[in-house]
Amino acid sequence: MTLDAKLSTYMAYYLEKDFFEDVDMFNLVSKVMQGDLTLRWYNADTEHVRLFPKDRERGLTYEDCNVGSYGYDHMPELIRNNYSMAPRGSELWGKLPDLGYTVNRKSEVWSDNVVALYEEAKTRRWAPAVDVAWDDLTKTPLPPNLEAAMAQLCTFLQECATVVMSVSSRWIYSINQEFLELKSYLCAQILDQARHIEVFRKRALLGGQGLKRASVTAEQALKEILGAETYIEASLGGNLMLGSFLLSVYRQIAAVAPSLAERKLFSLVTQDAARLVGYGSGHVRYYIAHLPQQEVKLHSYLDTAEHCLLGILGSEEYLEPLIILAGGGTTPAEVKTGSSRVVRFLSQTVAAYLERCERAGLQGRAQRSRLPQYLQRIIHSQ
Amino acid sequence: MAYLSTIDFFEDKNFLDRWKRNLKGDLDLSWMQAKTEKIAVTPENPRRGLTFRDLDKGTYGFTNQPEFERRNRSFAPRGAELPEGLPDVQAEVSQKGEVWAYNTEGYYEEAMTRQWNATLDVPWHDLAKTELPDEISRAYAQLLTFLTEVEMIATDVPAEWMGKLNNNFTEVKNFMATQVMDEARHAEVFRKRALTTGYGLMKASPQNEISLKQIRDADSFAEMSLSLHLIGEGFVLTLFRFSEYISPTEADKKMFRLVMQDEARHVGYGVQHLKWVMRHFPEKREVIHKHLEEAENMLFGGGNALEVTEPFIILAGKGLKKENIEQGAKITAMFQLKQMEEYFERLDKCGLGERRKTSKLHRAMELTRASLQEAGVIA
Amino acid sequence: MSIMFPSLSFFQALQNTMRQEEARFRRLGFIDTTFGVHVLGPHGQEWRYLLAFEVFDCREVSEVRDFDLTATDFVLQGDLAAWTEMLTNIQRNKGADVEHSLNTLTHFGERLQMIYDDPDNRDKFFRFQESIQQFFDLTHTLELEFPPSVSRQTATAV
Repeated sequence: MTLDAKLSTYMAYYLEKDFFEDVDMFNLVSKVMQGDLTLRWYNADTEHVRLFPKDRERGLTYEDCNVGSYGYDHMPELIRNNYSMAPRGSELWGKLPDLGYTVNRKSEVWSDNVVALYEEAKTRRWAPAVDVAWDDLTKTPLPPNLEAAMAQLCTFLQECATVVMSVSSRWIYSINQEFLELKSYLCAQILDQARHIEVFRKRALLGGQGLKRASVTAEQALKEILGAETYIEASLGGNLMLGSFLLSVYRQIAAVAPSLAERKLFSLVTQDAARLVGYGSGHVRYYIAHLPQQEVKLHSYLDTAEHCLLGILGSEEYLEPLIILAGGGTTPAEVKTGSSRVVRFLSQTVAAYLERCERAGLQGRAQRSRLPQYLQRIIHSQ
Repeated sequence: MAYLSTIDFFEDKNFLDRWKRNLKGDLDLSWMQAKTEKIAVTPENPRRGLTFRDLDKGTYGFTNQPEFERRNRSFAPRGAELPEGLPDVQAEVSQKGEVWAYNTEGYYEEAMTRQWNATLDVPWHDLAKTELPDEISRAYAQLLTFLTEVEMIATDVPAEWMGKLNNNFTEVKNFMATQVMDEARHAEVFRKRALTTGYGLMKASPQNEISLKQIRDADSFAEMSLSLHLIGEGFVLTLFRFSEYISPTEADKKMFRLVMQDEARHVGYGVQHLKWVMRHFPEKREVIHKHLEEAENMLFGGGNALEVTEPFIILAGKGLKKENIEQGAKITAMFQLKQMEEYFERLDKCGLGERRKTSKLHRAMELTRASLQEAGVIA
Repeated sequence: MSIMFPSLSFFQALQNTMRQEEARFRRLGFIDTTFGVHVLGPHGQEWRYLLAFEVFDCREVSEVRDFDLTATDFVLQGDLAAWTEMLTNIQRNKGADVEHSLNTLTHFGERLQMIYDDPDNRDKFFRFQESIQQFFDLTHTLELEFPPSVSRQTATAV
């Protein structure tokens, strides 16, 4: 639909009245502006608090605000009373709108570490434009084959970061406003991924080789992860599974980085990815602890979705440049070294992911998952 | 699952065989010869670092981006080689003119370096020792309740639209990511400040919420951006400026200066987007006017909600006595006039100055101005 | 005055230096982790230190007899030669090079290993990676001494 058509045919929502014609409102406001205040809000039926930071160095955290009716501990499991924008703890009165939230159950979104992760994300922010030593990278360019490998990896990593960003942005809109701290954390996660898209794009283009090839296998897998139909599945697939993979990749690239500037770059993105995984793990753990009967459904989801992790791990737009970077080049000896490092890395990646699943409460995942046996088959065919 | 990959990676023999070959050192390396542009980028200003503006070259840049994105409907970054078989991620907005704004990349870089922290950058410990008169505390708590109430709309809505934009609009999506975080920070700082007043949160504002729902339910990016960035945030920017002016403490002034910085970027995007549209698509003029009519209704309704107006009067007049309220009402009327004036000034700059002739909001503004002149408040 | 590694004084010196560079570490953000450093000597000696970080500071350093993995996020363990090679590299380059960063050394566990009970807590190594690395990188401001047999080995290897 063109812009024309979109703006002219209809609007989805029209206000219940034309306020310019609202005589009652006009009269009321006139009285107020002449000094006759209603003060109908003055004695709001809310809890009186006066909060201050428990730790002055740490500042006033959301944890400090976890008090009485304002606190997240106070939230019921099911939000039935508020589908509006009204902030948790405020007095709800009058005709508040229904904003159409479809995620209204605390255990479907919550994690015990989400408040800490949000505060941490804010303080550990960084800006790619100025926090990466671009000058150093320009002064000491890589040999063409290593630069090509880095450019390809960075192209691939932008694709992944785009999906992680989309997982959060797609669901924020649907999550009840009562879960303020969780929504705020998702906002921080969105910014983290935007930062990653930025830094990988900049790194790819700095070296003069341009971007490389988008990955069909990875993108098909990524779209399947993004297509999760419930928030818990989206988090399990996007934050825990995909996040675990990305954490491993960033770590691996930092370990074989061709320069100090790139070591730092990948160290910084590692930090962000670790929070993503931290939330994913904590979220699944909270969900299973409160809804243990759902564990079997999560296993079932992973039974189907884990092939996406395999697809991403085996994408040649990721695997081949990683082999080249790990081995330091494209000579047969370098490729052999690189392949052997990447084999270890792949095993480590899958093992770390399954370990996180177990920690998250998905008991027996390591035994149930097909990933280890498929990976072994691939690795041992050498 | 809403989508199933076209490849079952556990079963696809080609995929698994190729992977085995890779690990044996048999690399294809065709990606090395990707059919993409080879360009060199360097930081134009090393002190500014490497910016998106530095990357504005060739097929990677936003300047040369075509108006209609016909080829890339995937997750692929702009300028990458697009092999057959990439999924269609069902982008709903693939026209540059619907999203672009002059200086989008500048707003983004600025946002990334100007992030601040509501937890640490407000002197909370000092505020804890501050005693305000009872009526000021209550009024301030009510104003803060309204402010925290409306901020998450400005988070939810850009977040939702980000996912619908074609992935080629990198700079726009990234800018919206910064807005999402900015607004979460605003919801946070206003909530925290309310909880330090001794009163906590006060009453929600149904009239505002009913009005602002229009932003949430916008059915096009253009409609959303006009309502949110230009109109809603434009009014809120003026509100922040006045709030800084009437702030009860120095720490509160600092808080409002910080939120103002963020808000100004959002309004900047909205104004520059409308300018872009008016310059490139002048035929949209009438359609935009039609939309602005309903959006101004939203604003007028929300702006006259008593949960905002009355606390403002008390804060501006510094009390509840008759003389305080008289003074407060004058200042509040001036503030409301300023809000409307600045809105129409922005429209003037975007080439929509004729709006003044037909707008009900403009008539309201003129009535307000006349009454203030009659009262001797303004010349 | 030179400081022996491994020793409590070494970690106290890093702690003090971190406090002098408060602005830089504050810029990196909150660091909330308690982790151990376990050094294994060539003749069966063992040194164990616990480093507790909170907010922007290294709150406490202590020498311990054992690690309680339920109360410690992770332990970085390695033989003395690996640790001294890393520190010597830091001193030479004013910061670890890629081959000697903590991430690289612990990556496949060949030089340094990461011991942990809870993978979530282990992941704090990644969450605070840059701060932890920069903490150890402060070694370049110190004059170090190593046990004699290691000094000779390290001089040959690096």
